[in-house]
Amino acid sequence: MNRHIAGIFFLSVLLAAFSSCTAPGSGSKIVINEVLVDNQENFEDDYGVHSGWVEIFNTSYNSVNLAGCYLKVSSQPGDTISYFIPKGDVLTAISPRQHALFWADGAPRRGTFHTNFVLSKTSDNWVGLYDSGRKLLDQVVVPAGVLKTDQSYARVSDGSDEWEVKDDSETKYVTPSTNNQTLEGNPKMDKFEQHDSVGIGMTITAMCVVFTGLILLYICFKMVGKVSIKLRKRNAMKAHNITDKQEAKERGLGEAPGEVIAAISIALHEAQGADHDVEETILTISRVKRSYSPWSSKIYSLREIPHKK
Amino acid sequence: MGEFLSFLQNNLADFWTYTGFYNATYQHFIMIAVGIFFIYLAVAKEFEPMLLIPIGFGMLVGNIPFNMEAGLQVGIYEQGSVLNILYQGVTSGWYPPLIFLGIGAMTDFSALISNPKLMLIGAAAQFGIFGAYMIALELGFDPMQAASIGIIGGADGPTAIFLSSKLAPNLMGAIAVSAYSYMALVPVIQPPIMRLLTTKKERLIRMKAPRAVSHTEKVMFPIVGLLLTCFLVPSGLPLLGMLFFGNLLKESGVTRRLAETARGPLIDTITILLGLTVGASTQASEFLTVDSILIFVLGALSFVIATASGVLFVKIFNLILRKDNKINPLIGNAGVSAVPDSARISQIIGLEYDPTNYLLMHAMGPNVAGVIGSAVAAGVLLGFLV
Repeated sequence: MNRHIAGIFFLSVLLAAFSSCTAPGSGSKIVINEVLVDNQENFEDDYGVHSGWVEIFNTSYNSVNLAGCYLKVSSQPGDTISYFIPKGDVLTAISPRQHALFWADGAPRRGTFHTNFVLSKTSDNWVGLYDSGRKLLDQVVVPAGVLKTDQSYARVSDGSDEWEVKDDSETKYVTPSTNNQTLEGNPKMDKFEQHDSVGIGMTITAMCVVFTGLILLYICFKMVGKVSIKLRKRNAMKAHNITDKQEAKERGLGEAPGEVIAAISIALHEAQGADHDVEETILTISRVKRSYSPWSSKIYSLREIPHKK
Repeated sequence: MGEFLSFLQNNLADFWTYTGFYNATYQHFIMIAVGIFFIYLAVAKEFEPMLLIPIGFGMLVGNIPFNMEAGLQVGIYEQGSVLNILYQGVTSGWYPPLIFLGIGAMTDFSALISNPKLMLIGAAAQFGIFGAYMIALELGFDPMQAASIGIIGGADGPTAIFLSSKLAPNLMGAIAVSAYSYMALVPVIQPPIMRLLTTKKERLIRMKAPRAVSHTEKVMFPIVGLLLTCFLVPSGLPLLGMLFFGNLLKESGVTRRLAETARGPLIDTITILLGLTVGASTQASEFLTVDSILIFVLGALSFVIATASGVLFVKIFNLILRKDNKINPLIGNAGVSAVPDSARISQIIGLEYDPTNYLLMHAMGPNVAGVIGSAVAAGVLLGFLV
């Protein structure tokens, strides 16, 4: 019966675990990160052509392969164009926190990253990214008239929820195939160098954390120890049929000193025949004759000479 | 015939340019001498032979001069070479957690569980890390490099390698060699500091015998330890997770084979690979720099600070403890996590002053707390600086 209950419990835990990790799953891993509709003097492709582009960003800390996914675009209701991202190209695997750029040039024969659609410069552009099972992973609508030539519609920073127009100004610049916000330096390091050049702040903070961790362990095991001692005493009282706590204290129940435990352990060890307590105290010195071993034999280590008839 | 002889001559001349004799520089010989010295220390003096033999021999392997441009793929820094592949375990940081798995499987936390206040000594001794961190900053190292150098004071080779591989990979060779060298030199570094900071009366303090610890407590320790420390410092998860996992394998009592593998063949294999590749990573061209010398000086300082802070903390702690519950400050040095060497030093020095006062078991408490403390400290540094 107990086994059945344990089995059901284990199964339900497994089910809960699986159902909770498959639902959001891949949907949130890759997102559309930046879209440029009218490209006149911006990034050009391998053929030297300026076309609109769609940038996809892998938000996860693992590689994601876009092969088999669909990139869809619609400028008018009912005219959705679907681009199947080909399989078999190693470049479709996006490294952790990296980008892939697809050219909206309507020339899919130019390579994996050249799509079969063109973005409309006059009307809204809906861009959707679907997985191989045609499940929508991410979508964005680039409103008409908002973007001027060579401006892009992008997330404020990689993978963030907010979108803005990148007008190539000092702070908002178009960033094909790279981070939407360039990190110039290591902000954490800069903060430390600016506010804590001597290292006292780090020392105090880190020592506090180290002490907190070990104090928590100390408190926990102080309490566990107390409970353990109490339980041992109670068990000893039960074994000796004693109910009076005072009497148990006087007889020192449940308080076996370490030496007693060590002595009992050694006695048990010896009783199991693993050791003996009386040495023979006879030292025998005798000359050992080196016995023959095939490992040192020349006969076995050399090829036999062919017999002559 | 003349053409053939000239061909042979050119061939030999070509071959000569590939030899170690042709490519040797005086730096190579310095490093080879250091490697031989390490092997001597291990064999003749028995200073940490398990570490110094692989590291010392690794130094010889790493400092055989060869023509880098020949594309022989033999150097540790040449992508695809055998040594380079083995070195990946160090650079990507997966050897240290496996070592921690073995350490967990061979460590008995009973002394700590029976007297949990000893954990605080393990925390106090981590000041060595941050003391060295501050000095390194003063000397012009950036915070990431300073943190990697400071961790030498944690007296924990795997932790030092793990942290430096993440924060300052270019200094990792010097840091690893420095950390392991000073761990081997614990019997030389610690005793004078312990004697200097304690009075004769303090050295004679007898501590209460540790109580017996139940099996349940021993099983609970790795579970609770993992949850408490890693919820606080998730960045320490690779080290702490493996340490406590190894300990659970040991204490559960039902995974004896796994525990034996972790504390036997597994840790031995990883120690061989780690020691050899860390030694080989000290290629003269990369290793012999002013920074390396500074790292060695700072490493010694961090050990001194860690030992002193452990001993001084016990002295201060004793002020608030009951008379029958005092701690012998000679176990303060064991807060650095050189297991079990620093605990052994407490025992030896304690016996010098009272031949019947055995401090080993008491010192093992702060010693293993030091392992946890240094892993937490590494996690904190990683969390703050990456």
